[in-house]
Amino acid sequence: MSGQPHTARNASRVVGAVAILLLLLAPVLAGLVGAVLPATGWFPPLGGDTVSFSPLRAFLAEPGLVTSLSLSIFTALMATALSYGLAMGLLAVLVGTGGAALLTRLISPLLAVPHITIAVGFLFLLQPSGWLIRLLSPWATGLERPPNLNLVPDEAGWMLVIGLVAKEVPFLVLMGLSVASQIDVRRLLDGARSLGRGPLVSWCLVVQPQLGRRLILPVMIVLVFSVSVVDMAVVLAPSTPAPLAVRILVWFRDPDLMRQFVAAVGALAQMGLALICCGIWAITSAVWARLICHICRSGKRLRTQPLLARAGRFWLLGLAVLPCALAALGLTSSLIWAFADIWRFPDGLPSRWGVQAWMTTGDGLLRAAVNSLYLGLASAFVSVFAAVLWLESASLRTATRQNAAGDRQMRLRVEGLIYLPLLIPQAAFLFGLQVLLIWLGVDGMFLTLLWVHVVFVFPYIMLSLGPSWRRFDTGFTELAANLGAGPWRRFYAVKLPILLIPVLTAFAVGFAVSQALYLPTIFASNGRVATLTTEAVILASGAGRQTLGAASVLQMALPFFVFMAADLIGLARFRRFSWFRV
Amino acid sequence: MSRNRGSFIMTTQRSFALLSIWGFLSALKILSAAGLMTLLPSMASASDKFESLVDQARGQSVYFNAWGGSPAINAYIAWAAEQLKDRHDITLIHVKLTDTADAVSRILAEKTAGKTSGGSVDLVWVNGENFASLKRQNLLQDKAWAFSLPSFAYTDSTALPALISDFATPTDGLESPWGRAQLVFGYDTAYVVAPPRSAAALNDWVKQHDNQGRFTFPGPPDFTGTSFLKQIALEVVPDSSIFVVPAPADMDTADAMLAPLWTWLADVSPYLWRAGRHYPVNYTDMVRLLGDGEVAIAMAFNPAEFSNGIAKGILPDTVRSYIHEDGTLANVHFVAIPFNANGPAAKVVANFLLSPEAQLRKANSDIWGDPTVLSMDKLSPADADAFARLPRGIATLSDAQLSASLAEPHPSWVKVIEQGWAKRYAAD
Repeated sequence: MSGQPHTARNASRVVGAVAILLLLLAPVLAGLVGAVLPATGWFPPLGGDTVSFSPLRAFLAEPGLVTSLSLSIFTALMATALSYGLAMGLLAVLVGTGGAALLTRLISPLLAVPHITIAVGFLFLLQPSGWLIRLLSPWATGLERPPNLNLVPDEAGWMLVIGLVAKEVPFLVLMGLSVASQIDVRRLLDGARSLGRGPLVSWCLVVQPQLGRRLILPVMIVLVFSVSVVDMAVVLAPSTPAPLAVRILVWFRDPDLMRQFVAAVGALAQMGLALICCGIWAITSAVWARLICHICRSGKRLRTQPLLARAGRFWLLGLAVLPCALAALGLTSSLIWAFADIWRFPDGLPSRWGVQAWMTTGDGLLRAAVNSLYLGLASAFVSVFAAVLWLESASLRTATRQNAAGDRQMRLRVEGLIYLPLLIPQAAFLFGLQVLLIWLGVDGMFLTLLWVHVVFVFPYIMLSLGPSWRRFDTGFTELAANLGAGPWRRFYAVKLPILLIPVLTAFAVGFAVSQALYLPTIFASNGRVATLTTEAVILASGAGRQTLGAASVLQMALPFFVFMAADLIGLARFRRFSWFRV
Repeated sequence: MSRNRGSFIMTTQRSFALLSIWGFLSALKILSAAGLMTLLPSMASASDKFESLVDQARGQSVYFNAWGGSPAINAYIAWAAEQLKDRHDITLIHVKLTDTADAVSRILAEKTAGKTSGGSVDLVWVNGENFASLKRQNLLQDKAWAFSLPSFAYTDSTALPALISDFATPTDGLESPWGRAQLVFGYDTAYVVAPPRSAAALNDWVKQHDNQGRFTFPGPPDFTGTSFLKQIALEVVPDSSIFVVPAPADMDTADAMLAPLWTWLADVSPYLWRAGRHYPVNYTDMVRLLGDGEVAIAMAFNPAEFSNGIAKGILPDTVRSYIHEDGTLANVHFVAIPFNANGPAAKVVANFLLSPEAQLRKANSDIWGDPTVLSMDKLSPADADAFARLPRGIATLSDAQLSASLAEPHPSWVKVIEQGWAKRYAAD
């Protein structure tokens, strides 16, 4: 083999990877610049042509700023810590048992439902006039009118925490299961238990540190998402004052155009908050790791009493399932609202069922649903395509190069960059991006919206698809090569069919991610393209609960059908390849 | 006999056509009185010109940015879209906003990026502070287009000066009137025997033991919430002449001038719904609370809101409405065209929204119930009769009961009220 075409092929691969990176990172970086400039006071269209500290001063003078900041930090850290703790607890209890498969089945639907839908469900279920109190009134509570309680939102932000936990526990559990299958959990556990430690303790001391290290990225994604979440916070977080991310949006929308400067400073502050949260998390986990190390070295036999362990298990399961169960009940109440013409307090069920909401606003919802569907399918398709391209070029490169180890190092470093859009708070770069898109004259176009969706969908698809791709047994393709199959044939006739199920799952995950995007959609579409999520956020601020229920039902239905279609295609195709199950 | 009647109808129609031309001319007179003489030459052929606009507008799309939080309003806009498609081949797309300011900041972002044509907003539902902001920043089309719409002839700005003076800011024809609004309170007679008809009476009512936790208002900067605070300010500040002129530029001075409002709020806040720790997002959210019985009094900027709520099953039929003795805030809302909007179709849409037919449907409380901006004197008797025969709904006050109204304060007070409220009630 001559070196010439080889270098050329490598070069084209590098070009491809660089192009993907550029497409992903350009909006993020340009958006950041678009926030930094007005934050320093330089924004000529508003007469801001000098660099000054006045935007910063105006920002610091905002009433209730400290409360907003601490609320953001509290809800983000608490939600992440709880989600992480509960997810790891579930894994400790269930990995290696039949429960793991069952758990995956039960929680996957929650992963597929957009954040706003979960939030609306909590609203319908838990507010003072919600379903829970309706079911208990008046026979148990004696209430004829809803109680005057600060529930949904509550004062401290716990509702937002629980809402986030309900969404993030499934995400972390699935990521954890994927990681757990990469490390040999059984061997580690057997080793630890042979040293005389109980199963739960063995898990905590031996498996958990391994798992935790590999889960840093997903946890950071959860943390950054939680600190900058807007759609869920609008519904579930306190409003006097609101968390920082919500206030940034309010400042952006203020008719007093000078507040744009304040918003820009807010966007940078959001960035700072994310860094602070990640810092606190990193320090805490370092201390934790130290502690574990110390316990291991001390050689203490931490043995839990069997009875205690069983009780612990029970509580852990209960705690982890509670937010998810509440979310499921909430979704059920959304379903009821969608088909309730009249449902007055304190009736436990509607006094008149009907489809009024669908009749009066069905058109608008249908249009939004079609937009969601197109956008979701297109962005998932493009992202899966790009991800396969990326992974394939990486695996080929490692296979053909001599210094595979160094190459792998390099690849991991570059691959870290594709997660940047998930590690920078959305609010921090989306306004600047909007200005850029308008300047380019491409705002509001379907392709632009698709592009911005791909920026967020692609990293999640990589998270979902990457592990299976790397675990692929190259023996199959080598065998095919020995039988005379060219590289293209080896790919589409051997590798792709074997990896079909992970590819289809990644596609469905991408669809779900796209469907849930709120801020990116309103900024990139310039408000012109309504998706179910943007409609639901508008409807959640007042208006008819029936219509909101109908929007929620559609938001549950779309990912359900996509996941089901992926399942069915997988099943139908897989019969031939069931030998190669990975 | 029948022939006679037919000719009678024909003559009346002709005479009403004449009448409406007369109305149009008198509108021109009013305009010229308002210092718009320069517009007159271009208006002589206004209807010809408009006809050519209608032709040009065929096949165009109009992105109408309008608050999208009310299913009733959304359904009305969807109806208008159907009509425009059928009649003028215009595609009206309702861009649903959570807040009108959203569109303002988007138009600004476009100006920032130097996008002087092909903007994303073709028509925006606006008034008051948002209009003042758009106008001040030169974000609107700078021609006085609204005065030359054929439907504008059915309005009477002498009788209703708010048609050309939006919260005391001259419209200069940069926005076309769409509807009228008045702050109206709704109460559930199951819980309230005699509703409190003044700021002072409301203060007492809220604090009574049985009523504690049963009153609230949408949290500013929501439009209705801010308006409610303006209403209270107008009632409790002894010298209401301060509201006619711009608020002092120094925020502390302006804030101090509203001291009676802050005292009033400090008095009632602990006894509000959820102890004043959380507020409804907007008026539809609050109407829902009224329907659930969480609060006993709610407010809206639409006199037919509560009848509409009863018709839709959101409210029990025990709800009625009232206004304060000294009158409540009244204003007009408009549609405006941004500086970088596309083509003439937006003007055709504005004209249709202002037409007797569209206004009649809008005023129907089963559909929306937004009072018309048209003058009954300028309409044909048939149209005027149709307006008179509109069902009012059991919870809608009569025009006579609604006659006590207060003028909007200067828009600069909005910021003082919003910031003053945020500082006191949304800061910890």
